[in-house]
Amino acid sequence: MLKFIVKRLLLSILILFFSMFLIYLLMNNLPTSYVEKTARELATLPGNQKSAEQWTEELIEELNERYGLNKGAIPGFFTWLSYAVRGEFGESWQWTVEVTEKFSEVIWYSFFLALIAFVLEIIIAVPLGVLAATKQYSMTDYTVTVVSLIGISMPTFFVATVLKFVFAAKLGWFEPFGMVTARLAGKLTGFAWLLDIAWHFVLPALTLTIIGIGSLMRYTRTNTLEVLNADYIRTARAKGLPESKVIGYHAFRNTLIPLVTILGGSLPGLFSGALITETLFSIRGIGYTSFESMKNGDIPFTMFYLAFVTILTLVGTLIADILYAVVDPRVRVN
Amino acid sequence: MADRDLNQMLKKMEAESQLQTEGDTERLDDTQRVKVLSPGRLVFKRFIRNRLAIVGSCILVFMFVFCFVGPYLYPYGQTDKFYITDIFENSNYAAAKERTEYSNYEIDESVSVHYLVTNMMNYFINEMKAADLDIMLVKDDFGEKYIIKYEADNIYSLNESDLTRVGLLASALLVCEYDMFTQTITYSEGVEMDDAFGMAVRLAVMDREGEFVYGGKTYKVESAGGKKYAIWHHLDAGLQYITQSPGEGFEAAVEAALDGDKRIFEFGGSQYLIDQTGSDSYDIYRYAIRKMLYVCSPYTVDLYSGADVPKDFLKTALIGFCRGGVFSFDGADYVISEELEDGESVINIYRAGEARPYALFTTFSVSRYTGSGGLLLEFKDDVRHKIQEMSEQNKSVATLITKVEKQASDGSVMLDENGNVVYEDTEVTITRKGDNYTITTDRIIDLIDMYAPPMSKTSSHTHIMGTDRDGFDVFARMMYGGRISLVVGFVVVIIEVILGILMGGISGYFGGWVDTLIMRLVEVFYCIPSLPIMIIIGAYLDAEQVNPYVRLVWLMAVLGFLGWASVARLVRGQILSLREQEFMLATEVGGLRVSRRIFRHLIPNVMPQLIVTATAGLGSVILIESTLSFLGLGVKHPFATWGTMINSVSDYNSMVNYTYIWVPVGLLICLTVIAFNFVGDGLRDAFDPKMKR
Repeated sequence: MLKFIVKRLLLSILILFFSMFLIYLLMNNLPTSYVEKTARELATLPGNQKSAEQWTEELIEELNERYGLNKGAIPGFFTWLSYAVRGEFGESWQWTVEVTEKFSEVIWYSFFLALIAFVLEIIIAVPLGVLAATKQYSMTDYTVTVVSLIGISMPTFFVATVLKFVFAAKLGWFEPFGMVTARLAGKLTGFAWLLDIAWHFVLPALTLTIIGIGSLMRYTRTNTLEVLNADYIRTARAKGLPESKVIGYHAFRNTLIPLVTILGGSLPGLFSGALITETLFSIRGIGYTSFESMKNGDIPFTMFYLAFVTILTLVGTLIADILYAVVDPRVRVN
Repeated sequence: MADRDLNQMLKKMEAESQLQTEGDTERLDDTQRVKVLSPGRLVFKRFIRNRLAIVGSCILVFMFVFCFVGPYLYPYGQTDKFYITDIFENSNYAAAKERTEYSNYEIDESVSVHYLVTNMMNYFINEMKAADLDIMLVKDDFGEKYIIKYEADNIYSLNESDLTRVGLLASALLVCEYDMFTQTITYSEGVEMDDAFGMAVRLAVMDREGEFVYGGKTYKVESAGGKKYAIWHHLDAGLQYITQSPGEGFEAAVEAALDGDKRIFEFGGSQYLIDQTGSDSYDIYRYAIRKMLYVCSPYTVDLYSGADVPKDFLKTALIGFCRGGVFSFDGADYVISEELEDGESVINIYRAGEARPYALFTTFSVSRYTGSGGLLLEFKDDVRHKIQEMSEQNKSVATLITKVEKQASDGSVMLDENGNVVYEDTEVTITRKGDNYTITTDRIIDLIDMYAPPMSKTSSHTHIMGTDRDGFDVFARMMYGGRISLVVGFVVVIIEVILGILMGGISGYFGGWVDTLIMRLVEVFYCIPSLPIMIIIGAYLDAEQVNPYVRLVWLMAVLGFLGWASVARLVRGQILSLREQEFMLATEVGGLRVSRRIFRHLIPNVMPQLIVTATAGLGSVILIESTLSFLGLGVKHPFATWGTMINSVSDYNSMVNYTYIWVPVGLLICLTVIAFNFVGDGLRDAFDPKMKR
């Protein structure tokens, strides 16, 4: 088992290295004129004591030093990597603070938002998926299938807009934007503050749940169906177990194997932020921050975010693989 | 193939046996009772049994008809702008202003005049007016000198000249300036002193103001503001010559000119100019004007016909004015003459051979508020008189009745049978705002038909889904938008599938290190977050302002390039299991080429899974495309896509008010993607019935 984990880990590092290289290649290939233009635009923002020219030059100099943009792709990549490995990503252009500082400021909003949605998804999707599978071809099954397909097919922005329209504009239950009530900003502390944030998180969390629920439901249904077709279920039925015990004990526990694997694998993803949802609801999480950075050509933050998401994806796959190997010993051999 | 042969064989046998036993009753072992279906037909049969798949297919057929046939049947295009006309009370019709600012008209473009000089023309001319000068010398930052000359009232010219500094008349001469802060001495033009003088200056400056003697001459130190000091040298003699004296009595001529407060004088056949450089110092130049570079005037030209003034006519006329009042423009000759009309002096321009004046100079400009086209002179005169009256009575609002073009009900100008514009007496209001006057009247105006609700009665055309912010028909844009979304979906999926088959096929067939390499590459591509990358590329294309067509191609190429990994993995997996099967052994025994074995025997067997993935992939590509367009980073205006259409009403207020735009479009996206998913699911179940219990 240890050998398997070590092997997978090394492989992941290798893949990470090449993914980073590809991402770096993209950045390196952005024409200098674009980089300069962005730097100049940022330099002319109000609040800079230095002159625009000076600032632009400084930014580009720093960029060249940290990212090796003036070198070739490969030496440049190693220049960047040597900084990145030490956790030095430089100062964000857009937010004018250290990238890592901005990151630690916003990441927890994203995480809690994603966590709420994740828990909701599991609570809703898993039982429904199992139910649909046990009553295949019934009305319930069709409803679940159709609903899950609709969930998969809806663009996030449309769901968010519909929710905003219904719950914020028409019913007025929630606010359409932001994380804290504007007129109470800074006045609330402790539990009241938490409640206020939670109130603002309802719509985004709902959006994420609606979007995510479909695939999980489908996955549960497919896997439960597979399990229900297995011989041991037939055996369980043949020996006269009550149906509730067959489903709840024998079938469900076996369905859990692939479920736990995939859910474990998606745990790191909770940190990657919901780019579109956060942007639409103005939740100042990592998704919103990175979207603004990417849109405005903030190279330091963008590079950091891309690296971060890549690592998260890899860790997710790694966890899924290891979990799979834990529950299914046959995998370890290959 | 084998199945079809069997089927045909059975059918043949059946036909034969039927021929033999015609008239017999059907037997139990009659082969007609057994139907053998080809695999394709089996799949088809299973597919059409699936209700969801049928619903999906119907939606897709509808979408394709809607997006690809619909535009041919619908009368409006995606970029047809719609307008409505409405009577606007007191809409801005014209603007009037008494021009006092001088405008520069460049005559000779080959000589570049420093912009500081041209920008300061108004200041110079006002200075000349204040001092009542006919000629003034101006310098730019680099010491280049020009002469501004009075040509006529309200017309001045900037000239390039030959200038020779003959001498200077001063009671004191500025030797140098000393900056205590930087401790530097800046000598005046043409003055050179040694270091000892510098030391003397430094010592003298310590005492702040005062006098010091150096080399037998007395110098005076004066504060020149801040930490700067000016060192002056007293001159006893009156006029100091720089060049040779032009002759006896020159000094007297200079003094006479100065006494008479004149700045130009003639001496010995040459023109001389006195330039005041300080409170009590003058430079005397000999000058000859070489070339007129600019003509400056607040004048505008009005044509008596009320037509538009041709381009450059004003400039040519002004130059003509300076050069004796005759000029030719566009093949015709013109004469300028000053005349008295109703007790006012008017400068008229006559076209050669015509008795009535063609145009006139005026400092009073009346122009249309928006749009082009001249105004009737009568209208301008009326307005001018009224404004004069207003300023006399010190009123800021006045009304008058004057001639304004008559409008048809659709806002266009009415023409009589000869094609001439019809004017009618209309009440107009003149409002003063500072120095500007605005003339307002009730006009029929064309407006973009913005956000017209569906089937609106006020619109000029019926719009099934209303119009958007740009006055585009929403329904038409829905069709064209769907077209782009679907095309993007198909192109991207085709790119993905081609790349995926190539990489997956090679990887699965060859195995070994090739397989390892390609699979690692697949994993690398899996890790790379595609949405962020698309956003970065979108932002880059935004900054470069790439043409929307090129952008579309980019979008498809990048999406395709980022998405091949999953197809490759699928193809490889299938091939790994297929290549162990007997039919592959047979191809090997048969000595087929590798490429033929892969692409003729392996890939067709992967097709079912590929079709399923590609169908579901189409849906997700459409989702990504619409998301990108929604974020404003995908397909751009004026192309319509579903994403951009929703984006155009994405701010909160539009979202609440214009639901008739975003809700149907959003539903279209959902429906299309759902349909692709339904069909994909149906196909998977049909291809692989084992999944069904």
